[in-house]
Amino acid sequence: MSDNRSLIRDFILHELLNGEQADELEFDTNLLVSGLVDSLGMVRLIAHLEEKLSVKIPPEDVTIENFISIDVMADYLKTVQTS
Amino acid sequence: MVFLLPDAVTEAAQVASERTAIVCRKESLSYGQLEQRSNQLARTLVDQGVIRGDRVGIFLDKSIESAITLYGIMKAGAAYVPLDVSAPPARLDYVVKHCGIHHLVTAPNKRRGLVQLLASSDSPIECLIGAPAIEGIRARHISWKDISLTSSSHIESGCLDQDLAYIMYTSGSTGEPKGIMHSHASGLSYAKWAHDVYSLRAEDRLTNHAPLHFDLSTFDFFAGALAGATTVIVGDEYLKLPASYSQLLADEKITTFFTVPYTLTQLLTRGALDQRDLTALRWIIFGGEPFPMKYLVSLMAALPHARFSNMYGPAEVNGCTYYHVPRPIEDEETPIPIGTTWRNADALIVDEDDHILTDNTPGELLIRSSTMMQGYWNRPDLNKLAFAKLAGTEEHPHYYYCTGDLVERLDDGNLKFLGRKDRQIKTRGYRVELDEVEASVLKLAPVEEAAAFAVPYGEGSLSIHVAVILAPESNQVTSIDLLKTLKEMLPWYSVPQKLTTEFTFPRTTSGKIDRRALQTRAAQA
Repeated sequence: MSDNRSLIRDFILHELLNGEQADELEFDTNLLVSGLVDSLGMVRLIAHLEEKLSVKIPPEDVTIENFISIDVMADYLKTVQTS
Repeated sequence: MVFLLPDAVTEAAQVASERTAIVCRKESLSYGQLEQRSNQLARTLVDQGVIRGDRVGIFLDKSIESAITLYGIMKAGAAYVPLDVSAPPARLDYVVKHCGIHHLVTAPNKRRGLVQLLASSDSPIECLIGAPAIEGIRARHISWKDISLTSSSHIESGCLDQDLAYIMYTSGSTGEPKGIMHSHASGLSYAKWAHDVYSLRAEDRLTNHAPLHFDLSTFDFFAGALAGATTVIVGDEYLKLPASYSQLLADEKITTFFTVPYTLTQLLTRGALDQRDLTALRWIIFGGEPFPMKYLVSLMAALPHARFSNMYGPAEVNGCTYYHVPRPIEDEETPIPIGTTWRNADALIVDEDDHILTDNTPGELLIRSSTMMQGYWNRPDLNKLAFAKLAGTEEHPHYYYCTGDLVERLDDGNLKFLGRKDRQIKTRGYRVELDEVEASVLKLAPVEEAAAFAVPYGEGSLSIHVAVILAPESNQVTSIDLLKTLKEMLPWYSVPQKLTTEFTFPRTTSGKIDRRALQTRAAQA
């Protein structure tokens, strides 16, 4: 599933951060308190993942527990891809 | 007797020491603990040379410490100056110097920002409270551990209610932030007003949604403390994930939720509200900007047991009018009014020559109230323009704050907000309210957010531009479709010449759309 991590990181880095702050964006970085992703960025990221992975991410799943870092998101995506 | 803002905490600690005052993530403080820990900070500040009348900066994320800090600073006799941790270093450097901040309360996790903030060789900051040693920084430092070893007994600041309690820096139209000065009297007056209007009780559980540099936060802390209620500080991570925010509201059994329309719209569209038990919610209070009617109507339907209230007031006068939204809303299309002033405030409507209007014609709103600021810190130029001497008598004139907001008094006495005075433009020879254009665009179903702004065009003329963010399911809609519908809604001269769709908007530090940044960008294009 390392592909999903790259997919998420690439989108955040190039689409949300315009290629800047690459050094701060680790797989385990807390995206929500670092200010790297804002609320609309999160909406765009989710739309992107739904399209690329052909999955449906219900609003109630978009929580801190599932989206705090790239690692955590990748683990969560596994659960929707297999279900 | 409660006449200083921290007196409310001291009194609550005497009446019910064990009652929970503050919650943040997994931590909480009782009123007794908040009293003691803020006393310890106050004593530390005094030991470090803070004297009555000083300004002490706060450079903290939302945390338990942020609540301790604002009371600790006021107990030391100083005014607190909350700094926006997300603001560019140059802006923070301006505030620190303009306000003469020698002492700053912070935390170890702000190391990176502190290095940037203290990089300026002539920074007046000489003491960091709550920070570790940082290489290359010569300011002395006191750790939170050191503070916890200080005596927690009560400390007398000697302050009067007319002394400054806090200074909040807000964007100025010239680009330089201006510091709004509030005394204990004006802050407490607002807290009493909020306490009264929303009948706050000790059993209430409030949120603290806004950061400390945003005036909404004074309601959460000061009105909450006056009621002896619990204030739950909402971490920034919740603001980005509405489904977690709604879960927090349910888990914490929040009764009184004061926030901005933008957050409520996010909760409605992405907050999975149908799966949350929010029956504890008594009040949903919103302010800061108009709430698009389509979202307000839907949210009221989604939360049938809660009462909704629109609170209006520039930070310069705190809250000054309120409107409790009736159920059902009679007219679901027309924006709700900002309501009426509370009993201890007076509203005047004046024309461009400051003549008082009494015939319900629109004009600028002027406010006289005990909640009014003392003025802008060290800006005599702005203070001359901010207040108008009107009414009263020659010997005892009345001073009003000029809000810059255009309003109209409705037949039922409620005030209707029409827009900002500086948002009224002339285009193609006609007078247009940009806020009215924006409100029309927001009525369109696919539009989630909209910003209207004027862009210079040709010689001395202005053209109207609109930027919109579409709802995720509406990405097939084009600008042409939207403009076509707008032509049917607005007079021809009000129809935007340009409409662009965006993914995201630049925002001010308080989360409002930064229309000036959009305007600058468009003017340069």
